[in-house]
Amino acid sequence: MTNSRTKRYFIGSICMLLLLSLFMGMTLTLSSGEVYAENESKKTFTVGFDASFPPYGYRDENGEYVGFDLDLAEEVCTRKGWTLKKQPIDWDSKDMELDSGAIDCIWNGFTINGRENDYTWSEPYVDNSQVVIVKADSKIKSLSDLKGKTVVVQADSSALAAFTGDDATEENKSLAKSFKELQQVSDYNSAFLNLESGMVDAICMDIGVASYQVKQRGEKYIILSEEVSSEQYGVGFKLGNTALRDEVMEVLYAMKADGKFDEIAKKWELETAVCLKAAAPKETTADESQPEKTAPAQSATHMSVGQIALDLLGGMGATLLIFCLTLIFALPLGLILTFIRMTKIKVIQLLAKFYISVMRGTPLMLQLLVVCYGPHYVFGLNTDSSFRFYAVIIGFSLNYAAYFAEIFRAGIQAVPIGQREAASVLGYSRGQTFRKIVFPQMVKNILPPMTNEVITLVKDTSLAFALAYTEVFTLAKQIAAAEANIMPLFVAGVFYYVFNLLVAFIMGRIEKKLNYYH
Amino acid sequence: MKVLEIKNLKKDFGEKTVLEDISLTVNKGEVISVIGPSGSGKSTLLRCATFLEKATDGSIAYCEKEVVKSEGGRAIYPSKAEMKAARSKFGLVFQSFNLFPHFNVLKNVTDAPISVMKRDREQVMTEAREMLKRVGLEDKENAYPCELSGGQQQRVAIARALVMNPEIIFFDEPTSALDPEITAGILKIMKELAEADMTMVIVTHEIDFARAVSDRVIFMADGHIIEQGSPKDIIDNSDNERTRAFLRKL
Repeated sequence: MTNSRTKRYFIGSICMLLLLSLFMGMTLTLSSGEVYAENESKKTFTVGFDASFPPYGYRDENGEYVGFDLDLAEEVCTRKGWTLKKQPIDWDSKDMELDSGAIDCIWNGFTINGRENDYTWSEPYVDNSQVVIVKADSKIKSLSDLKGKTVVVQADSSALAAFTGDDATEENKSLAKSFKELQQVSDYNSAFLNLESGMVDAICMDIGVASYQVKQRGEKYIILSEEVSSEQYGVGFKLGNTALRDEVMEVLYAMKADGKFDEIAKKWELETAVCLKAAAPKETTADESQPEKTAPAQSATHMSVGQIALDLLGGMGATLLIFCLTLIFALPLGLILTFIRMTKIKVIQLLAKFYISVMRGTPLMLQLLVVCYGPHYVFGLNTDSSFRFYAVIIGFSLNYAAYFAEIFRAGIQAVPIGQREAASVLGYSRGQTFRKIVFPQMVKNILPPMTNEVITLVKDTSLAFALAYTEVFTLAKQIAAAEANIMPLFVAGVFYYVFNLLVAFIMGRIEKKLNYYH
Repeated sequence: MKVLEIKNLKKDFGEKTVLEDISLTVNKGEVISVIGPSGSGKSTLLRCATFLEKATDGSIAYCEKEVVKSEGGRAIYPSKAEMKAARSKFGLVFQSFNLFPHFNVLKNVTDAPISVMKRDREQVMTEAREMLKRVGLEDKENAYPCELSGGQQQRVAIARALVMNPEIIFFDEPTSALDPEITAGILKIMKELAEADMTMVIVTHEIDFARAVSDRVIFMADGHIIEQGSPKDIIDNSDNERTRAFLRKL
């Protein structure tokens, strides 16, 4: 009777959820319909950019997206009567954004060299080179000094392409091979955090960004005079979208002609880098056949699922390692924390309570950053690149210990008081009572919430990307960006799912095994 | 020999005094029933005697050795080792059995003698099987508590107390959680224990049983011992108005 009632309640809840999602879906469709209607009267021009790439496009102290490229785009829109939409994107996913039509172009200090056939390009408008930044007191004076050092670049950046891309020069390739390690981070802020704390020895990046960053960060850094490569920036449109490209180019030439372009360049102190010529070259018509030629070639280079899975194998291992080590450290740590939390001494109890509330009340990603960079900024310690891995494990263990502690506490409190009383009368010591009577019953009590938490841990391991630790998710994102293919993300998703199926299966077996009593 | 001697026991829960000026002596082989209305302090008295509650004041001695002392209006408890030694003198059978659910019947009975008293394993096993036979559960030693009826669980609990060889066994309303037809079986076992000269203190609502087995009956109300005496004097011929009022309601 009660059984069928719970069942009915369950089905009812599912229906409610379905209705709710249906409703939300409808509102979404409606609102996107409105945008579309608006589009017809006034065109929206969506510019994709990496919001941490000053001075080309970034978020200023007022929270506004500003920069040289965004000012240019703004002026183009004003002249065309379009509405500009500034869309910050994850740099690794820029191709997906562009291909899906979520953005109209990538306008963001976007290097043409090495990507000539991947996008429909505007004329180059900024000349840019890849340079190396080191600490002012560093012994590195020239590129050859980078031998045996750790160098960091932004993931899928032109600096990375300059070292490892298909079009990289042999010189740069062998230079990259001489590094101890070439690391990738998702944004330049992390790169500087890494350099500052000593985890890397040098950063390689675009000269415009480098000058800006070094100026902003004071005299602690210098730019090596020797350049890694020289290259040019353009606006990238979806392959074949020459119509939009031509429209934008037309306005840019007009801006160049009436001086507005140089005025904006001056505002961002980029006047020396600007290379857009006033006259419109006529050979654009010749370029137009290019997209049709290159498009099939690109799809032919797609990796097979098996190849992707093979490439992701190392990342899977890293994920597994984070998972196992976190459990090994967090479980006992959580138990100790439970004891502290349950002591009768108020002050100590309060400390544990505070610890747990901080660990549960702040984002795990933030905690990871604190563990990784805190030792340097708080204690002035110089951490090397291997610390990244320890930071991941320490961060995860500290966080999960707090959750485990509360699960343990609930499990202990669910053991009836009569159990401890019976043990007391029989003469069991406190230690014996916990070990022989309370602990085994606690384990049985906590299995369902523990399964939940362990499954969450499997998925949370992906947060290690915040410290640029290459586990399966980070790797999948990198491969997806490099291959302009979403398949690696699917493969990673399948990996997580299968991993969790296994976790659920094992936990289910343990639960069944402990079902001999209740 | 005085197996248990409690003097001037007092127990406060915060502001509330639940036991006051309780003095009680139990001699070897004596069977004592404690009766009284709910909330009169019967269970608290047993819990103080078995150290599950700390007395506020008063003294408790087992086998003529003082364990809890009264000093300056407060009860003073001794070291862990002395408490452990004192605990080996008594057993307690709970109303809710409190068997260990993750141990089978045999382990429930044998684990404490083996791991607490460090007695010889084989000898404990033999004794435990004897005890299980005595309570009629010789064929259940591999069963888990959840597979047993309430009456069977209580028998295991009695066997568990007996294997510890206590000088005295306390029973805290041992049949209150059981059906009437099962109650009879438990009471029969307790009667056999009484006949075998086991020293017992039984908090109970089974007046007929109390009359049949007790050497002495104690009537408690409002945290005090109102009167005590032979079953005949207390249950059948009390001249105390409160005792008679309580017995009339049963």
